[in-house]
Amino acid sequence: MTTQLPLCDVAVIGAGPAGLTAACELAEGGRDVVVLDEQAAPGGQIYKGVEKVFADRPQDIRFLGGEYAGGERLMHRFRQSGAKYRPGVSVWQITSDQEPELGLGLIENGSAQMLYPKHVILATGAMERPTPFEGWTLPGVMTVGAAQSLLKSSRLLPEDDVVLAGTGPLLYLYAAQLASFGIRPQAILDTRPSMSLRAVLLGVSALAACPKSMLKGMKWLWSVRVKMNMVRGVHSLKAQGEDHLRSVSYEVRGYRHKLSTSLLLVHDGVVPNTWLSMSAGIRHHFDSAQSCWVPDIHGAGSTSRKCISIIGDGARIGGASVAAMQGERVACEVDTYLRTQHCSTVATQSRALRRQRRLRRFLDCAFSPTADFQLPADETIVCRCEEVTAREIRQVAARGCMGPNQGKAFTRCGMGPCMGRKCALTVSQVMANAHGVPVDQIGHYRIRSPIRPITVGQFADMALVPGQDKKAS
Amino acid sequence: MFRPRTNLTDPVNFSFEGRRLTASRGDTIAAALLGSGVFIFRESAVSGIPRGPFCMIGNCYECFVQVGAMGVVQACLTEITEGMQISKVSNSIDESEMGIKEISKR
Ligand code: FES
Repeated sequence: MTTQLPLCDVAVIGAGPAGLTAACELAEGGRDVVVLDEQAAPGGQIYKGVEKVFADRPQDIRFLGGEYAGGERLMHRFRQSGAKYRPGVSVWQITSDQEPELGLGLIENGSAQMLYPKHVILATGAMERPTPFEGWTLPGVMTVGAAQSLLKSSRLLPEDDVVLAGTGPLLYLYAAQLASFGIRPQAILDTRPSMSLRAVLLGVSALAACPKSMLKGMKWLWSVRVKMNMVRGVHSLKAQGEDHLRSVSYEVRGYRHKLSTSLLLVHDGVVPNTWLSMSAGIRHHFDSAQSCWVPDIHGAGSTSRKCISIIGDGARIGGASVAAMQGERVACEVDTYLRTQHCSTVATQSRALRRQRRLRRFLDCAFSPTADFQLPADETIVCRCEEVTAREIRQVAARGCMGPNQGKAFTRCGMGPCMGRKCALTVSQVMANAHGVPVDQIGHYRIRSPIRPITVGQFADMALVPGQDKKAS
Repeated sequence: MFRPRTNLTDPVNFSFEGRRLTASRGDTIAAALLGSGVFIFRESAVSGIPRGPFCMIGNCYECFVQVGAMGVVQACLTEITEGMQISKVSNSIDESEMGIKEISKR
């Protein structure tokens, strides 16, 4: 019996502004496009739940902000575009370039399957930068992004005792959103150092380039500052409690302060989610301006594997408008690839993209990552899964261990279910610091598929090779 | 923690550790539990200390819960459904059940 192989022209992984725009462009041009999304509804993190909010609680839209509302247009376009949407799908594997066929290993409704696209666009977006500090594993400590996602998708609002800590645009945006819902957090513990002259100059340039975004940002920051209890110059954050969070303590100018709370939300900016791209064998490097690993990109989204493009925050943190522009640009590249099997990179950058660049340069400088979180104190747990502390990492480095992969063998750091997502950056940075070398030289964990837990049973039941579908034959 | 939500428009009934709770249709299991005041989801596999959801985007794997016949799932990526029976994951997660090791050896 012959079986129908699951094929398509383009598989887009991720349904945020980058992935959806690319999918729309290609599908509207007649390509057979499948969008694979881990979430239950399209929108990515930024437009999370936007269709549901419009349908079920339109009164909340104005509290969530104009940018969020703009997501609805994109959802509408996407639904009309002809692209297939598959929600609730995790991609656990991209076949290596050694294999004859480009294939994606998926888990959908608990069962594993394969999909064979001609081209893959990774639009896996960002994840929050790890923020290790003492007590960050206690229940009741979450990320700001997590809380914002709960607000968008389920209208969960924190109690007034909530404390926010860290820095980054998302933190101030969330605080401003809380204010519009009438919630005034107990405190915002701002870890950002005062603005450098360079940041001020970049700010002026960004204001000229993107006045609307800059003014909007300044408005949030301003409203948060006047309406809320914002504490500046915070460091040495600690979360305390037995079985769950009871209090938070921190230092300002040498004095330690303490607040009782049951919810602490931390944030320190975002970094590209590179687990899929790394597992696919694509080349990456450490981007020192953004202090994170990014894939090597040329043109709009071409990578070291010509059948895989990467766009959006997963390529480099650029924000939603850049993501959408990249989605548009990559569509031409992918279309040419499908016609000719050759890469033709889009070289020219539009003026809008160049303006966004200036805005990003300012944001990267003004909200640079918090030093305390980058190089945590010795007793801090770095690897949440295996409970490995910064001290242990420094000890193995002192004994001559030169990289995170070797460190795994000694400490099990990075070997838990999250596969290093919450510690990789910290481990590389701590080791680089211990050896006094650049992070690039220390490297990153080797990431291999499956990048999502998959059971042996699921694996065994799956059709592995084209034409050998067990279930169908 | 989070404010309890009142008058849910489309309620879903479920239980956690035998306690009957209500959530809103479309919630993830994690949102349903957090909205009901539950924030300890499991015990850590290493030291047994309590853990709860952290990232809500499927990255940290802190939100593992045991769901009836489905087995161990990530609560932040799984939608709640009527009658779901959820319980804590104790610190004895069977690694063969997770299967990560076996496959990564290939
Ligand atoms: S809360 Fe992080 S994976 Fe679910």
